[in-house]
Amino acid sequence: MKCLLLANESAEVLFYWTDTEFEQRVQEQYGVSQEEGERLPAFEDSINTLFAPIIISCSTMVDRLGDNYTSFSTENNHIYVLHQFEECLYIAVNGDGDETEEDLKRKIFVMKKLTEIMFGMVTFSGALLRKELRPQDTEQRNRLWKKLRSLLETYSRLRENDQSFLVEAVERLIHPTLCEQCIEFLERRLVQQINSNMDRMGEEVLHAFILVHTKLLAFYSSRNASNLYSSDLLALIILVQDLYPSKINLDETSELESSSVPEVFYTPEPSPPERESVRQRGDSPPVFQFVDPDVQMAEDSLQTLEAPTPDPSAPSRVFLESKECPMPHSMYCLPLWPGITLVLLTKVFFYYKTSKAKTICTVSMSYLFIYLFIYLKSTFTSQLQNAWTDFKNKAFSRSGSGFTRDLLPSCRNMKTQLCGVYRQFFAAECMGSSQRLAPHLQERALSMVQEKLMDWKDFLLVKSKRNITMEFPGLIHFIYVDRSNGQMIAPSLNVTDRTVSELGKGPLADFIKKKVWSLVATAQRYLQKGYATVTLRDGDYFYCYFLWFENETGYKLEVIDIPSSPDDGAPVGMLTCDYYRKLLRYYSKKHQNEVVKCYELFTVHLGVIPNEYILQHCSQLARKLWEPTRIPLL
Amino acid sequence: MAETATLTDSRRFFFLYDSSKVQEEVDLTRDGIYYFSPEDTPIDQQELLCGQLAGVCRCVSELSSSPVRLLHLRKSKYAVRMKDKFLWALSCVVDIPDVSVCDLLDQLIALFCFYNGPVRQSYQLYSKQELALRWARYLCHLQGGSTELHHIFSCLRTIDSTHIDPLLLLKAALILQACQRCPLVLAGCILYRGRVVSTQMPPALTVKVMVYETQTYSQDFQVTANGLSSLVGSPFSSTATTQVFLMPTELHMLRCPPVDRACRSHCNQPPCQPSRSRLLSRTLSDTPTTDTDSSSLDPTHCPPPSYKTVPSSPRSSLSDELCFSPSPSRVNTPIHSNLMNQSEYFTPDSHVHSTSNGTNLCAVEEHLAGLNIKQDIDANSGSETKSNGLNSDQDIQSEEIKAPANGYEQSNCLDNHSDLDSQIKSEENKLDANNHVTNKNGNGETEEEAKTKSKQINRKLKEKNEPTNTPSPHETLEDTSLVPLVLYQHRVKGLVLALLVEPEFITDHSAREEVHHSSLASLNGLEAHLRNTSPGTPGPPGPYTFAHYDCIQNTLTTNVCGRSVGPQDQAFVKATKLVHSHFSRLDTLQEAIVRNASSAVYGTRTTAQETYFLQQGTPVRNSGSPDPQDSAFSLPRKARLRLLKHGVNLL
Repeated sequence: MKCLLLANESAEVLFYWTDTEFEQRVQEQYGVSQEEGERLPAFEDSINTLFAPIIISCSTMVDRLGDNYTSFSTENNHIYVLHQFEECLYIAVNGDGDETEEDLKRKIFVMKKLTEIMFGMVTFSGALLRKELRPQDTEQRNRLWKKLRSLLETYSRLRENDQSFLVEAVERLIHPTLCEQCIEFLERRLVQQINSNMDRMGEEVLHAFILVHTKLLAFYSSRNASNLYSSDLLALIILVQDLYPSKINLDETSELESSSVPEVFYTPEPSPPERESVRQRGDSPPVFQFVDPDVQMAEDSLQTLEAPTPDPSAPSRVFLESKECPMPHSMYCLPLWPGITLVLLTKVFFYYKTSKAKTICTVSMSYLFIYLFIYLKSTFTSQLQNAWTDFKNKAFSRSGSGFTRDLLPSCRNMKTQLCGVYRQFFAAECMGSSQRLAPHLQERALSMVQEKLMDWKDFLLVKSKRNITMEFPGLIHFIYVDRSNGQMIAPSLNVTDRTVSELGKGPLADFIKKKVWSLVATAQRYLQKGYATVTLRDGDYFYCYFLWFENETGYKLEVIDIPSSPDDGAPVGMLTCDYYRKLLRYYSKKHQNEVVKCYELFTVHLGVIPNEYILQHCSQLARKLWEPTRIPLL
Repeated sequence: MAETATLTDSRRFFFLYDSSKVQEEVDLTRDGIYYFSPEDTPIDQQELLCGQLAGVCRCVSELSSSPVRLLHLRKSKYAVRMKDKFLWALSCVVDIPDVSVCDLLDQLIALFCFYNGPVRQSYQLYSKQELALRWARYLCHLQGGSTELHHIFSCLRTIDSTHIDPLLLLKAALILQACQRCPLVLAGCILYRGRVVSTQMPPALTVKVMVYETQTYSQDFQVTANGLSSLVGSPFSSTATTQVFLMPTELHMLRCPPVDRACRSHCNQPPCQPSRSRLLSRTLSDTPTTDTDSSSLDPTHCPPPSYKTVPSSPRSSLSDELCFSPSPSRVNTPIHSNLMNQSEYFTPDSHVHSTSNGTNLCAVEEHLAGLNIKQDIDANSGSETKSNGLNSDQDIQSEEIKAPANGYEQSNCLDNHSDLDSQIKSEENKLDANNHVTNKNGNGETEEEAKTKSKQINRKLKEKNEPTNTPSPHETLEDTSLVPLVLYQHRVKGLVLALLVEPEFITDHSAREEVHHSSLASLNGLEAHLRNTSPGTPGPPGPYTFAHYDCIQNTLTTNVCGRSVGPQDQAFVKATKLVHSHFSRLDTLQEAIVRNASSAVYGTRTTAQETYFLQQGTPVRNSGSPDPQDSAFSLPRKARLRLLKHGVNLL
């Protein structure tokens, strides 16, 4: 029984997702209370009514007590987790015991991350996000919500089954030679060819990578590309998995059989009719009415951002983190064979507006840095100009209130205006354009990589299931994570697969899987409270967790006191607010002259092994695993 | 905006809210607030908090078809109980484990029901103000634990047995056993200055019994601290009885203890106890009065005779009690207990009128007049605790106004005495009028019958109040399943003997006399010994910190002392909280070592105990990477060695 919903301050549901059990429960409740013969209210209305008291109470608590609910639990172990981002309230519910409070919190943060990937900084403004998430056009809304729900379900499936989404780090296929060859191929052949082609239509490939299921085979970034953060890469893997899900329950043979006819998967449609119609609608006069008159924008920005359509040659618009602010990119997902995908990320080209827009974003990220603001103000819309004047008067004039809480409404207003400008420059512009790599170019890229990997594909598919094996008597499982580059190594735990994993299959493997999942959750909870080493004896097993820092040469650096974070803070991980990036930044302050690396090791041993041997294992394991992570990515 | 920004984070709240009082639009939230602590919280803030939390809890519980148990905010958390339209909420800071704050709230509610019976009924019989005093007392009792560790484990405060001659503990145990030779005595405990010396009750019951004692001890302490003539030194001994309410499970445990007293388990009433069982306990006893008291007790063993032997004239009973009283200062208490006993079987109308929130009860009385079985409802409703309750309320009040504590008990008693004269007189009138009821009752209504009747009465009572309170019938029945019993307390200066006894104990003179006399000398002796045992300056703290929690006895042994907590101790307490809450979530977890840069804590548990250990001293610098030489991993070995001398066996 699960549910996740987003609501704004006026208790309007902006998006919801429920499983069938939850839906049934709600309908039963309404079925009982309904008068005979009366029609059941629409499910969305029921959801709205049911949660409204909670949502309203939340804003009352914030306004009058300066505090807010973070969770409820009931005697039958239903859990409700609440989190407020800006003006949006997220509520996640679980009533079947599958998820813990921490899981629900993580789900909320992931949902937030997914909206950021889709809408960029527009998510910073409640009013604008409402417009994106609740388009007036029902069909459009249904399509968008369907997409978001499907993404959420894909994430949940990965989180439940995939170790790289358990620890939130990308898993790489351990095959140094092939990896190096592929990187070279992506660089010299693929990216170079596309970027020098006339038909790229103003697109420039910045990053290219090959995924085998969720594992990374090769990754290439062009010289002038900015860094692709692990959190974004993980989010992109969710998008890819959503488009081309790995069929976990499908057995190997059928997968291989179907892979013998690769070409059929790609049939580009030059001009999807659906897409055109949306554009036309965008040209017509706006039908929206803003809730808040202060949020009035230039009319050309009122066109709603469009949800990705099922057109295969159309890229997905993704907003990726950069130094300044989330920047729009086009993502092309080209399925090589089932389970193997080539992904290209291109920069969206903005003609003359780019530099200005970029500056504005820098400002909007830190809108209190007023100097830049003054410098730029000539480029702003008049609403923004007014908002700025208002803010300036309040903050800096003698008669004004100065930097107090009273300034908040002005700040909020300004933020909304800036988000509007951002949207106008990036989001609306990009979404409206049909700009993309020419289909034949995409096709060409696909067949090039297929040709290159044809002999390897079966190997890769098997390799992705048995990535690494380690022989230590008594060692049952381990996960090794390099947090500095966001990568992990672990033996497979495919308990649902018909192929036998390291642990065999059946109830024992399932039991171990549950234990591994709970070990990671436990370790993260202790880490959040500042404990970097944890050992546990639980039933017949012994669990260890270590987090430590090294410099680039592998010299182990002294342990530090890790600050403990509040219970309502972001979950420990990389997919959402990157905890480890902050941790590394914190540690680097004390080691400014060297590059600091951060590692984690989780192990499960049989409990009968004496502790000394277990610790010896762990230390040997860490040494051995250090090597494979040295494989260069670039 | 944020007018009360500091409200939720720094203060601990507790409130009881009745949502049945706030159903219409016009109803004020404040009408639903039965009790709110701290009481000086402005009413609009009380309304805000109660209104919001009650509303949101109701919404969530409807969505999930289950009551809310725990509610987290960013800066605080609330344990919640929802029952019969009532909502209790107790807040604490966020780093207290969930399990601890939930336990605390449950204890608090259980404590209230123990002394006052079912909540709804209590609020029909007594005023909010009166019950507020009691809530405050229970809250103070439970939150007044000496260290943070005590809060985490919500354990009993015991005397430091390491500084006490073990023979004294044995002596205390023997006193309790000797008392149990009276078949009406179910179980007992001995407390010294608010701490447990020896107990025969399960921990949950011991905590409840300790309430008044802790209160008194803190008064004693104040007195000595002020340098005024202390009560501790003056001859001071008294007995008191209070009606209490036990849950059927608790009662079953007392009546059917697992060992030794199996004979009692065969009958709920203790009438036909073979003397053999008493011989059993005699082997452990050094009191040479066994033979005489066995003969004197025998007639009283079966309730019907005991009912018959009870003097039906209150006057004679009163004089008897006065004769027994060892000192004038105690005069009030036997009278009170006597009144109480009468009020249990007769209706002390005057009494009720003088103290309860009148109208409600008047209505009840009128209603009951026709039914002619008043005694039952009184027996169940706990109105007789009035006599004691009144007294204790005064205790609190005088404590609050910081009246000079010099001779405080004494003067209090005198005041009561004059009050009592009039009370007694009215009682007598009342009793004469009700004599026929007594006789009828005396002819042996079984407990079962009494119970069913009281249920009927309660149902009537609910019906009567239907327009205002509408708890569903089955909920009411659930409430009335509490069984009335009597708590007998015998105080000798700082020492208190507390016994849970069958209600007949009050009317059974010989039993009371026997218990009183057989224990008096031993108690005096024990008190003198305990008083002369120096509290023991805690020895030089070892190079380690530990806490050992006994889950069965609910006790804690630790060398973390009091409130002066150093950084190492803080680190220890922080880790203990986390690991304890981990243990409580995961049954299969046996052992944990958690380490940060400055400290490493080892926790281990079995079904019977939890132990936490921290080795002090600056840790050897390390990287935190897996290393067999790491000192953190030698903690289990060190803990086994070090803790042996504290009587903790981890082998």
